[in-house]
Amino acid sequence: MDRRPLLSRAPRGFSVLGLVLFVAAIAALAAFPSFVKKPYVLHMGVVLFLAIIQGQAWNVIGGYAGQYSVGHAAFFGIGAYVTMMLLELNKTAPWVGIWAAIAAAVLLSLVIGSITFRLRGPYFVLASISVTEIIRLAALHFKDFTRGAEGFLVTEIPTLKIGATEIEFFTKRPFYFAALGLAVVTIIANWAVQHSKLGYYFQAIREDQDAAHSLGINPAFYKNVALAISAAFTAAAGGFYAMFVKFIDPNTVFGLDVSVQFVLICIIGGIGTILGPVIGAMVLVPLSEILRNPKGLVQLGIVSSDSGFVRFIEANLSNAHMLVYGILVVVVILFAPEGVLGVIRRLATRLRRRTPSRGRTEPAATA
Amino acid sequence: MNVFLQSVISGILVGGVYALIGIGLTIIFGVMRVINFAHGDLLMLGMYATWLVFSRLGIDPFVSVAITGPLLFLWGAFLQKTLINRVLNALPQNQILLTIGLGLIMSNSIMLMFTSDYRILTTTYSSSSFSLGGISISEPLLVAFLITAVITAALYWFLLRTDTGQAIRATAQDRDAAQLMGINVQAMSVLAFGIGSALAGVAGALISPTYYIFPQVGSTFTLKAFVIVVLGGMGSVIGATLGGLIIGVTESLSAVYIASGLKELVVFVLFLGLLLFKPSGLLGKTRA
Amino acid sequence: MAILDIEHVSKFFGGLAANSDVSFSMEQGMIMGLIGPNGAGKTTLFNCITGYYPPSKGEVTFKGTRLNGLQPDQVCRLGMVRTWQKVRPLAKLSVVDNVMVGALARTSSLRVARELAMEQLKVVRLDHKPDFLAGGLPIGERKKLEVARALATKPELLLLDEVMGGLNPAESEEIIQLILELKKRGLTQMVIEHDMKAIMRISDRIVVLNSGEKLAEGGPREIADNPDVIAAYLGERVE
Repeated sequence: MDRRPLLSRAPRGFSVLGLVLFVAAIAALAAFPSFVKKPYVLHMGVVLFLAIIQGQAWNVIGGYAGQYSVGHAAFFGIGAYVTMMLLELNKTAPWVGIWAAIAAAVLLSLVIGSITFRLRGPYFVLASISVTEIIRLAALHFKDFTRGAEGFLVTEIPTLKIGATEIEFFTKRPFYFAALGLAVVTIIANWAVQHSKLGYYFQAIREDQDAAHSLGINPAFYKNVALAISAAFTAAAGGFYAMFVKFIDPNTVFGLDVSVQFVLICIIGGIGTILGPVIGAMVLVPLSEILRNPKGLVQLGIVSSDSGFVRFIEANLSNAHMLVYGILVVVVILFAPEGVLGVIRRLATRLRRRTPSRGRTEPAATA
Repeated sequence: MNVFLQSVISGILVGGVYALIGIGLTIIFGVMRVINFAHGDLLMLGMYATWLVFSRLGIDPFVSVAITGPLLFLWGAFLQKTLINRVLNALPQNQILLTIGLGLIMSNSIMLMFTSDYRILTTTYSSSSFSLGGISISEPLLVAFLITAVITAALYWFLLRTDTGQAIRATAQDRDAAQLMGINVQAMSVLAFGIGSALAGVAGALISPTYYIFPQVGSTFTLKAFVIVVLGGMGSVIGATLGGLIIGVTESLSAVYIASGLKELVVFVLFLGLLLFKPSGLLGKTRA
Repeated sequence: MAILDIEHVSKFFGGLAANSDVSFSMEQGMIMGLIGPNGAGKTTLFNCITGYYPPSKGEVTFKGTRLNGLQPDQVCRLGMVRTWQKVRPLAKLSVVDNVMVGALARTSSLRVARELAMEQLKVVRLDHKPDFLAGGLPIGERKKLEVARALATKPELLLLDEVMGGLNPAESEEIIQLILELKKRGLTQMVIEHDMKAIMRISDRIVVLNSGEKLAEGGPREIADNPDVIAAYLGERVE
């Protein structure tokens, strides 16, 4: 009874406390690089924000509208490729190119949606995977256009001029702020969508498509809307990723494991909530980044460079960081199918039940 | 014409192994209604097991089927009993995620143990072939096909003629009814997952002389297995057999007549079309 | 003018006729009872009328608009809405959110939708539980929620599919009062029900379906005395 999504708990506008916490968190994160200048930390910050954007984006279609897409690499990859190719082949600045990337992804989402939303359940999952595989294989094959497996490398990102200030994308710092800004925009946009008619309609479709249909909701239309919103933010994340990592090829942006990552961020945190993907990203990113590059811990001074721990990870785990994803998802599905957020809520309710003064009132708005 | 015949025949030879992969997946789906996203990773385990016994003990891949099969059976049965069994009544998406997670664990553990290097298992006959009426036939593929045919025949016999086989089919047809009839549904699920895994492992062994062996090889086969199973109708063993052959031939024809880099793409395009227009499969009845 | 016209509607599944050649019409403000033994095709008829399946043959006209080919959401926006025999609460949404989903068919403002939803909850007497999770309600209240959600779409014709099924006598009585109250407000209703006593009390006219065909139509008295109807129901009791 206590596992209600956030939306139905506080739909009457926003809670003041939540808003204060949100603004405080942004302020703290914005001030962070003034105190901590270690590239590794800023790098992890960027990856974390990126994961939050990815999770929020998937959440619109997967969490709220209940359509488990395992094909979000399609939009991520399109975002990455359009931004990258416009920069490399046409010298278009990425902050311009990313709009073209978003437009392309939204168009693609309409095509994919009109094909796959005719299917339900496992068939939909399979269709979303196949469409993405088709795009990956095509990107690998049509080398004249995409350069195939050779991929694209960023040669130079132009200097961004805002008024008199010039921002150069040489260090991690500008990327940190850009990613933070993008993550904030994504969260606010998602919050707004979920606290509107759209959010209600998405959830109605998730809970019972036939019932929703009888209440004046056109499921095909609203699923497409959800997918388009989701694709737009996913493409932005993809474009940003391409600029940040500076290299893309079909397998790194269109691969099945990219699609799976989108789902995992939400599943681990808690699906269908604004907070869930944030928590999921906070669990996943540090773990996989440390495994990918344990040297960073040395840079932080947490461990010494000759420590057995670092050497063990470097020798064994750095190319198998997806192992953590695998273990996490198995543990979450078996023991906490509602994600970390679900566990926290359950604990909170249990604590509350122990307090006799409030123990008996049982409206669902407990968490 | 010769080119055509040639590609049809090599398509059928490869298709036999595909059929084995598909049958394994379809049995698992039939009995448990779980879509096993780790299926290709089980096949990958079969490949590595084969490679190991070949490179360490010198056991021929086609002989090692007798080892990889039982090994993968036990592993599959173990997975089902300890993990998958717990999500039989969960949401389908959670089942899918669990098997995706298991697949990631398997492929990344293998990567930990053997790195992500590509391995090649070179036998004396790996690239030998003989000519039959102007059509060249790859020896390892032919042997693999023959072994596949024997295993498939044995499996049909098992499912159709033995009590346990009938119990598995009954469970696949209607789990509740089977339970009421006194069939140990739990045991059938373990058995089905074991058989499915064993078939994937055997398929892995059979293709290891002709394919690169690397930790991520599974995902291609997982996807291919889905195509085969949906094509034949989810849960239908005969359908999966035919589906495997059809996919094998489709791939080899599109490699010749379209472009070798596009053969898988063609398969997925056909798959999408099938999902949209006949999701119950070629043999399936369209259910309302 | 009739608000709903059903003309020669048939629905085949494969070779099986779930409805064959059913015709009747409803006047504004009336309550039409739809009865018949299990498998008579009552719910199929609801599905045909509301757009879940297109009828295989025949026509449905609502307020002068031909419905054939229209989807359920379009039918709902035209002013006809149904409830489900097996209740379908949006389980993870709260009670008021469930009703708001219905209300949003008529407004895009959440504030207006919430007011409308609370009004409907008052009508069905669920307004004391707006923040409960719909999935956790007892069956009686889930049935009421189903009605409130349908009412929130501001229908002119409400189709109720066994709203009293599974309820105890007190709860059923509450629903009967609710239906009569809605009638007083001018709402046209079509009611599928198994409880004969209830249907006789509330209906202005009754249509009896048997094996997909219309067996009889008339006022409650007429129907109760109709030998064909009695035979059909006796047949059911024997099995």
